[in-house]
Amino acid sequence: MNLRQKLLLLLSLTVALVVAAVAWTVLVRIRQVFEQHDQQETALFVSQFQREFQYRSTEVATAVDRLAASERMRNMAFELEHSGDPSLYVNEAQTLAQESQLDFLEVIGPDGKIVSSAQWPARFGYFEPFSWVDQPAFLKTEELPDESTTLGLFTNRAVGSSEPNTSQPVRILGGKRLDQSFLANLPVVPEMQIALYKDADKSPATEQSSLGPDGSLFDPKRLICAAGEVPNAERYETLIRSAINSSQQTSAIINLTDQREDSVSATAIPLKDNTGKVLAVLTVAISRGGMIQTQQHIRAIAYGVAAGGILLAILASLWIAARVSRPIEQLARAAEEVAAGNWETSVPERRRSRGRDEVDVLARSFNHMTSQLATQRERLVQSERVAAWRELARRLAHELKNPLFPLQLTVENLIRARALPEKEFDEVFRESTVTLGMEIANLKTIIGRFSDFSKMPKPQLERIDAKDAIERVRVLYEAAGQNETSIRFERELSTDPMPLDADPELLHRALSNLVLNAMDAMPEGGILKLSAKPRGYQVEIRVVDTGQGMTSEECERLFTPYYTTKQHGTGLGLAIVQSVVTDHAGTIAVESQHGGGTAFVITLPKASETKS
Amino acid sequence: MLRQLAISCLVAALALPMTARTRPHYGGRLRVEIEGEPWQRPNGLARRLVLDGLTSMDAKGIVQPALAVEWKSENDSHRWEFRLRTDVHFHDASPLTSVAVVTALNADCSANCPWTAIQAVGASVVFTSDSPMPNLPALLASDEYLIAADAGGNIGTGPFQLSGFSNGVLALTANESCWQGRPFLDAIEIHMHRSIRDQWLDLGVGRADLVEVPAEQLRAAREQRLTVLQSQAVTLLALSVSNSGALANPDLRWAIALAIDRRSLFDVIFQKQGEVTASLLPASLTGYSFLFSVERDLNKSHEKHGGFTPPLLTMTAESGNAMQLAAQRMALNLHEAGFNVQVVAAGGARPGDLALRCLTLASNQPQAALEASLRDAGVQAPVLEQTPANLFGVERDFLQNHTLIPLLFLPRAYAIGGRVRDLQLRSDGTPLLANASLQDAP
Repeated sequence: MNLRQKLLLLLSLTVALVVAAVAWTVLVRIRQVFEQHDQQETALFVSQFQREFQYRSTEVATAVDRLAASERMRNMAFELEHSGDPSLYVNEAQTLAQESQLDFLEVIGPDGKIVSSAQWPARFGYFEPFSWVDQPAFLKTEELPDESTTLGLFTNRAVGSSEPNTSQPVRILGGKRLDQSFLANLPVVPEMQIALYKDADKSPATEQSSLGPDGSLFDPKRLICAAGEVPNAERYETLIRSAINSSQQTSAIINLTDQREDSVSATAIPLKDNTGKVLAVLTVAISRGGMIQTQQHIRAIAYGVAAGGILLAILASLWIAARVSRPIEQLARAAEEVAAGNWETSVPERRRSRGRDEVDVLARSFNHMTSQLATQRERLVQSERVAAWRELARRLAHELKNPLFPLQLTVENLIRARALPEKEFDEVFRESTVTLGMEIANLKTIIGRFSDFSKMPKPQLERIDAKDAIERVRVLYEAAGQNETSIRFERELSTDPMPLDADPELLHRALSNLVLNAMDAMPEGGILKLSAKPRGYQVEIRVVDTGQGMTSEECERLFTPYYTTKQHGTGLGLAIVQSVVTDHAGTIAVESQHGGGTAFVITLPKASETKS
Repeated sequence: MLRQLAISCLVAALALPMTARTRPHYGGRLRVEIEGEPWQRPNGLARRLVLDGLTSMDAKGIVQPALAVEWKSENDSHRWEFRLRTDVHFHDASPLTSVAVVTALNADCSANCPWTAIQAVGASVVFTSDSPMPNLPALLASDEYLIAADAGGNIGTGPFQLSGFSNGVLALTANESCWQGRPFLDAIEIHMHRSIRDQWLDLGVGRADLVEVPAEQLRAAREQRLTVLQSQAVTLLALSVSNSGALANPDLRWAIALAIDRRSLFDVIFQKQGEVTASLLPASLTGYSFLFSVERDLNKSHEKHGGFTPPLLTMTAESGNAMQLAAQRMALNLHEAGFNVQVVAAGGARPGDLALRCLTLASNQPQAALEASLRDAGVQAPVLEQTPANLFGVERDFLQNHTLIPLLFLPRAYAIGGRVRDLQLRSDGTPLLANASLQDAP
């Protein structure tokens, strides 16, 4: 992973984390605000319903009060208190209830027996348990002719003023039903549902009571709203049970389906009778669908903004990373160029930075450094060139001086020999001319060697195998080595193909030089080992002898032209070898210890095997 | 003398219009309103106006000749021969023949008939049976055996004939060639499906001449000073109890009979009209009905009940607020006795275990009335006994099964408008409109 990618990743992660944190915070806060609003709205509706409920209670009480004070009812009470024949009024309650818009009405005689009942006309003559004092509106379960019971809001009033001699006055017990129509008349807002769970509604088919302590059955069909049965009523069970057991108003969020949009914020209000027994539970449920949809909408926008922010952050990070890393990358590439020997490499400098940027300082320093290096190298090359010329001159002088001295002596000898008799002069002359010829030939040889070094040809590459090259050298020199100096040749060649794109003559010449050097290094005989093996994409050729070896200083100067450790060497052999190896894009190294033999290691690039 | 003569002439002159007002006038259209159907059985109002029987009951409940002018029994009442009246024609002008009578009676009575076979013999109709039929003339006077010329029962020989039906109004016109003579009224309109309240309102404003007065509203009708025609107690209110299923146990049926509070039905629901009864025939006919206890005995009911809790029983009741209320009251009574009874609408998928019914007293003759009542209850055996003791035995044996529990005898009553004259009720409580007339008829 390069610097740009690291910078990109770092910046992107940083921005993404920041955006995510901001989005999460916003969403949490939005949810809190919505829930708070939801709770306030629910509380408002519950309060509104309770006021409406109270209003309905007052309405019932007012209707019953008005009925109790009516002339018709007072006459009836008078007749009942005096004639005592209640049969005349058996159907009266139905008419009165209809006129007073009451669902329940019972006229109760002074004896406590029902004179007339609107809700159950056949109950005349039966005792009705009730209080002999006026009561405000209260909840009561009322039995019906079909043996079911229903819940109602009741109130109890005495009719007129009883006669002084009468123990109890005629009373009326009137009320309104708490059922679907009651729920339908309650003020509701859209998305609001009011339902009633009635324990009192006990159909003949299902006698069991659902409310009460835990363990009793919950019948979802008993939860009714204005439209009938409440869908998914079973989801309200926990809330309703909680309200029943605690006898307190309870609120909860209920998920009606697996979809979050179908959740409601519900409040259960226990409805109790005079004794405090919970007769029913009223649930006020407000749909959270709109709120959740709004939340989801906001969340979608937040996600979109976050995604866009992250995308922008990535793009910005790309730009920043590129801007930051580009000069460093240029520096890195320039450093690689320098490392590869291209010392003239420089990096561009930004004109506007004016040195305030560290990277620009670094670039300027780098450029200064490379220019210094180039200058130093030029000086070094010039020095080396001068030194080489000096060495060449020295070596040339040394090489030329050796044959020149005999030439000088021979010429001087000839000059002195002119005074000798002719016969002796002739003999001296003949010997001198022979000597002169030999030395001149020697001079030619020396000059030829220098000429050869200067004329190193360019390699003509062919596909050869390293084994063949080594075998060729071994065959050439093995016999000579064994005969002259008892040198034993060994070879260790890999069985794998070791193709090389090389000039076979130049490579043979280089290997021959190494073999001859090794043979020279073992005048007393020894082992000369030739080996070759593939190593990755390269082929490694080793020429190892068991001679005296070299010191480290000798190893360092070994490939310097005209450097030799031999008495009659020109110092050009290994230089030629290095030149050949370099021309073949290879390397040569020497491994030697004093007294431990020497190993020359040539590494050449392995040719592609597909090439023919 | 002259002075006396002049006074006499003046008195006679003044008396002439008075006698003219009391004399029945021909013509006029009588408007009748009823709650039910005019053709329904028994005692549908139109049936009695359009159709005649072989015999009829007069206002005193005595069997009188109708389409049959005379009858005689043979072979110890195993064979009866009814000789038909001659020159009687149906409303479609076809003559009344013995074949037509046999066809009509066979159509009326395909099962549960008092006779085994019926055949036309000349101008007579002969009834034969394997068992004696001592009460056949009285039975033939009932609404069940009226003679019609068509299968629909709309063409008869009665004083009125069907002239139209539209918008819930059945129109009848006078049969000019009626064998009884032309009725005084030219036409009768029967408005059906009118509530009692609406009937009374129409009567009050003069839009109706004859309306119904249920027994439970007789007191209210009198309080409103309506002119009411009331029959004797001719309708038996009884609870029919199934003797199968959950109530196959006779003790349970007995417990039901003991649990019912007849007094509250009589005193409150039916406003003390008629009489409380536990017998099939009223005391006025037999004199022994007091032998059947009418009192509620809840303890004995529990005893008979034996702690056994039968499954939910259903009770049906005939239409009418009082009938429904009585059914609910009895359900309440039975609930106290440990029965779980639910009042359901009649005509359901299965008949109720209990049914509150109204049976019409078919005759003023105890034997015939008892036989008709038993036939209504599904017992086809003829009543041969003549003495009250024997009749008591028959009735007791039947009532001991507690498949029919008599509750109340109720009267039938109608309220009439001020222009209706000479209207009487038959012994079964139906109005005898053929003899009625209208005061302001032209």
